[in-house]
Amino acid sequence: MQEIAAQRYDPSAAQAVLAWRQLLDDLQQGGHSVEDRLARVNAFFNARIRFDDDIAVWRTADYWATPLETLARAAGDCEDFAIAKYMTLRLLGVDDSRLRLIYVRARIGGPGSQVSQAHMVLGYYPEPSAEPLILDNLIRDVRPAARRPDLFPVFSFNADGLWVAGARQSSADPGTRLSRWRDVLDRAHAEGLALPGRQP
Amino acid sequence: MPKASPFPADSHDRLFSRNHRTMSLIKQLWLATALLTTLSFGGSFIVSTLSARHYLQQELALKNMDNATSLALSMSQMPKDEVSVELQIAAQFDAGHYRLIRLTDPAGKVLAEREFSGETASAPRWFMTLVPIGTRAGIAQVQDGWQQFGTLQVETHDRYAYDSLWTSTQQLLWWFLGGGLLTGLLGTFTLKRLTRPLEGVVEQAEAIGKRRFITIPEPRTLEFRSVVRALNTLSERIRTMLVQESQSLEQLRRQTQHDELTGLFNRPQFLNQLDAALSRDDAQAGGSIYVLRITNLAELNRHAGRAGVDAALVRLAAALRTVPLPAARLDHGRLNASEFALLIQGEDEDSLGVLDTLTGRLRTLVREQLPDAELLAASARYTAGETRAPLLARLDGALASAEQSGASHTVAADAQPPLHTSADAWRQAITEALEHGDLGLHRFPVLDMAGRVIHYESPVRLRLAGNWLDAGRFLPWAARCGLAARIDAQVLATACETLAGDPACTGLAINLSAEALGHTGMREHFIATLQAHRRIAPRLWVDVQESSALRHPTEFRMLCAALGALGCKLGLKHGGQDFARFAELHDLGLDYIKISAAFVRDIDRTPGNQTLVRSICTLAHSIGLKVIAEGVGTLDEASALAGLGLDGMTGPGLPASPRRIVA
Repeated sequence: MQEIAAQRYDPSAAQAVLAWRQLLDDLQQGGHSVEDRLARVNAFFNARIRFDDDIAVWRTADYWATPLETLARAAGDCEDFAIAKYMTLRLLGVDDSRLRLIYVRARIGGPGSQVSQAHMVLGYYPEPSAEPLILDNLIRDVRPAARRPDLFPVFSFNADGLWVAGARQSSADPGTRLSRWRDVLDRAHAEGLALPGRQP
Repeated sequence: MPKASPFPADSHDRLFSRNHRTMSLIKQLWLATALLTTLSFGGSFIVSTLSARHYLQQELALKNMDNATSLALSMSQMPKDEVSVELQIAAQFDAGHYRLIRLTDPAGKVLAEREFSGETASAPRWFMTLVPIGTRAGIAQVQDGWQQFGTLQVETHDRYAYDSLWTSTQQLLWWFLGGGLLTGLLGTFTLKRLTRPLEGVVEQAEAIGKRRFITIPEPRTLEFRSVVRALNTLSERIRTMLVQESQSLEQLRRQTQHDELTGLFNRPQFLNQLDAALSRDDAQAGGSIYVLRITNLAELNRHAGRAGVDAALVRLAAALRTVPLPAARLDHGRLNASEFALLIQGEDEDSLGVLDTLTGRLRTLVREQLPDAELLAASARYTAGETRAPLLARLDGALASAEQSGASHTVAADAQPPLHTSADAWRQAITEALEHGDLGLHRFPVLDMAGRVIHYESPVRLRLAGNWLDAGRFLPWAARCGLAARIDAQVLATACETLAGDPACTGLAINLSAEALGHTGMREHFIATLQAHRRIAPRLWVDVQESSALRHPTEFRMLCAALGALGCKLGLKHGGQDFARFAELHDLGLDYIKISAAFVRDIDRTPGNQTLVRSICTLAHSIGLKVIAEGVGTLDEASALAGLGLDGMTGPGLPASPRRIVA
């Protein structure tokens, strides 16, 4: 991945990838609690990646970037944060069933404001029926959902059911390109990011 | 000369299945076409069915996924009480086409479920097992606020997919069957067109293999054309060679057998012709002989000079040659310087009257140049089986009495009166004999040079008025009464029976009369009878007289083709005299030629005829004909013939004296 970054982008991109690899290596060592990992991953991306609209970064109205693309550009919008964090946590061994990418309606400008915006965050469910921890690029901390009164969940998804055991790689399936979610997963896979539980 | 096979079915069979091991070219091409068609259509059939299945699988998977997502999205927004959840799932299931919609809570417990249990697809089960459509369920998460509510699993019913795949497969199959059939038909048609010239080439090659040197029109296909051109050139070369050879043969024959001055037969050859005529046993047996003598030739020579007399004799000979007589065969000879003779074989009744007129005309003709010439004429009738010397003695007697009486033309009395004198009486007698089955066949062996029997000549005989009569006695009358073809038919039937009943018999040769040869119905009857006796056909030899074959060339050609296809042997009888007139002998497919006794008589003392017979043998062998000598009368003749390249001989003088066996 580092090589791809060096080939496609400038040295700073390669460095960003190196830093990300170091984070992964560090967190894969024993002794880190899940909460610790969540916090470190959240902090890593929130600190490194500048928030910007897709139109500014990718010159497209809506573009779902892979973690490599996000790291290389050092910029992204809310989905790019959520995707990068989701994939990083999956690489660290967090089970897919505990993670959800959640579409939320975010109220901006304090509790009384009527202005709201479409937003995406990553939710972590310690137990299936528990309240999730929210990884958001708008705030630095990882907080339980109850402490995020500004967010209203709408819909969530993960990679469950996208790949059936034994089925062919989904990128061979032309239907893949029609779904942004499956598209980004495939592109990340092509860039060398192999999520556990997914076919080679 | 282009020639259509009389049995196209046979040549077809030959081309298409020679035997099991050597498969014909056409069969191989046809198999290749069939195989290619099957492969291409079968292959594309399988590919299109599989790609249709792949497409259906993808569509189903996408539909599952999208429907799961949209249902999960709407459920996430709705109240999560049991009734609402149940209702939403039921509404989606009942309005849509699903096999299963199931909602499970995060712990894996089923919250709500709808599953289709009803009729299955109309596609047969074997088809579904053969081409399974593996659909992937669509999975989406239902959210209740921040809480996970459950996982939704949606599976579309695959029944419609199977049905549509089954229908489209069936349609494809029909199309492909139709297309394959059409291609097969087109291929067969094209092959037929392409290989039609090949049939011609094969037929020609096989004909040449049997030494039947035919030419055929050049086909348009380039490769076949060069083959046919080569074969045609070969045939043409053989034909040219044959024409040249027979011309020189004819020249040789004229030198040997003809009088130098007048071009008529010389004395020895005329007597040979007479002997052969007397020994005939067919419809042309019997006839008349006419002799013209200039009594004062020596005196004329002195007075008019040799040259003048010679010129008059040449004119006389020319006039004699052009006598219009209704007879099967006329031979003209100069017996000595002052004697001329006319041999009338197979005559009609009233030739004696014509001879009177002829004598008058000849006398006038000669006296125009030689006013003092004295001409005397005599004629005598002969019948089959007479011998030469008494006949000539009778003629001499008649001439002597003419000289005494001063009559210009005297007719000698018949040696033996015929059995019946009127044609009606003969017709009745012959018809009765045929109806009573009083018909038999002789057997005279025809031997090869080693003394083995090649076949038996089997001339017919009839029992008339209690006596067995040889063919020469009654056949001329039968021919006159129009019964010759009927006798031929009965002879053929008897020969077939004999051969079928006597497997040890090497072969029988029967005679086919000119009448039967020229008559379409009789010819067809003849061929049909042989077709019914295919097994004995190879042992049957059919003799046709050289003169008959020359008189009916087209019919003879057709007979050759038909009998050749049946395996019969066909050959010329009493041959040699007109050998040079067979322009197309090379492509007839004849098997043998029997040389007339007129060549064989006294051959041990006639070097000219020896050369002739040797040349005929060489020529005939070059086109695959066997040569058999007829009427060998003495052992000396037989031993002279042995050195001339003959294949066989027959006659009363052979070492193994002929046994007369009644068949």
